[in-house]
Amino acid sequence: MFISIDAEKCMGHGRCYSVAPDLLSDDDEGFVAERGRCWQVPDEQLDLAYEAADACPESAIALLETAPADA
Amino acid sequence: MSVDSTETFRGLPVSHTDFTSYTEIYEHYRRLDADREAARFQFNDTTERGFFMLQRYDDVQRGFQQHATWTTAVRSALNPGIGEPLLPQDLNGSAHQKLRKILNQFFSPVAIRRMEPQARARCIELIEELRPAGRCDFVQEFAIRFPTDLFLSILGLPTSDGEKFVVWSEEFFAAMLSGDMSTATVAKKNIMDYFTEAVNERRAHPGDPDVDMVSRLVQADIDGEALSHDDILTILLTLMLAGLDTTRSALGYIFTHLAQHPEDRQRLIDEPEMVPKAMEEFLRLYPLVFQAGREVQEDGEFDGLQLAKGDVVWIGIAQANRDPRKYDDPDTFDMDRHGASTHLAFGGGPHRCLGMHLARMGIKVVLEEWHPRIPDYRISDGVELTERGGQLTLPTLPLEWEA
Repeated sequence: MFISIDAEKCMGHGRCYSVAPDLLSDDDEGFVAERGRCWQVPDEQLDLAYEAADACPESAIALLETAPADA
Repeated sequence: MSVDSTETFRGLPVSHTDFTSYTEIYEHYRRLDADREAARFQFNDTTERGFFMLQRYDDVQRGFQQHATWTTAVRSALNPGIGEPLLPQDLNGSAHQKLRKILNQFFSPVAIRRMEPQARARCIELIEELRPAGRCDFVQEFAIRFPTDLFLSILGLPTSDGEKFVVWSEEFFAAMLSGDMSTATVAKKNIMDYFTEAVNERRAHPGDPDVDMVSRLVQADIDGEALSHDDILTILLTLMLAGLDTTRSALGYIFTHLAQHPEDRQRLIDEPEMVPKAMEEFLRLYPLVFQAGREVQEDGEFDGLQLAKGDVVWIGIAQANRDPRKYDDPDTFDMDRHGASTHLAFGGGPHRCLGMHLARMGIKVVLEEWHPRIPDYRISDGVELTERGGQLTLPTLPLEWEA
């Protein structure tokens, strides 16, 4: 499973790294540091990835079965 | 019902629902729920310009994301007049982004965590002052006082000024809402004189701009140009207007709920690790800013809704937070609710509340520190709670406990 964080949609609500601090981190301005990235989530972190996606008020986090073509 | 099924405006049902009165507590949520369920899109004609209402979660979330063509030239659908200038709120696009970038670092979770020990100590002091009496007006004696002290401390100003500051800000806010411009002018002058003194002091004796906001504002530049003195004062006034009444109001609704639901209160005492989750659910269920406004800048369509340049859009925050399409049993408090934090109580898009992490920290600290000290409390007998429309607040919340 791949997690993708849309840098245009992310507005720094900070819910994702609050519920999944072992998967995501915050930068000095309060945005998720991994915004704009897409990477494969290790199986043991899948639950965290779902938690993070479900917590976002902007629907900025997507979970994808396969890597997007441009990643 | 206040949505008229026969009358239409540009093909939409017309709502006559008033959202600006004083009513019994929770009446506004009932009206908002009813309008949302009456029709997906509707036109409300209770203001001079009227407004087009987005009310369902998906529409509200996407409404906040239309920032390229819908701007904060109108900030509240209920009050589309120009009103008090606000910064950074009145800016849009890249100008807005640049000013937010300067302010973000002071309101980020990292910065707020630095403030937390001091905030906690102050919160404990205020609770201990009230505890021996066995009763207080929670709104007047606590819920406005604590956010005022948080506001002063994030600016790097002494919390000992809180006592006089709270009087000015209350006068100013009340006068603005009632349209009493002469009282508003006097109250504003006191506040602006106070800010001017603070700004001048920082110009003369700059602090560390990485942690001292006023020092940062006087040194900051945008595209090579310093912020003007007037703009700095406007920023400070905006932070005050945005942060004090809202946090006070949130605490009022939360403590009304907890006073009436001893089982939820007990759970927070037994399982303090539930506080952050409970807080998100409180914010979802009891948003104070129940709508945001936007002004459409070019003719266009929003998923079938035709809008013209100059139209006022209502972005229905509370209606989204209580939308049954998004949340099961949405009008019920559920501390274990999955995904409660997707609520839009702080808005969305680039204008989302700058102070959200500060507000969260303040509310969390109050929930954590009040209950070990005053675990059992009730609303005084015979009190009928009322709420102010426009932007919700409880004017009074008398609580009692065994001292």
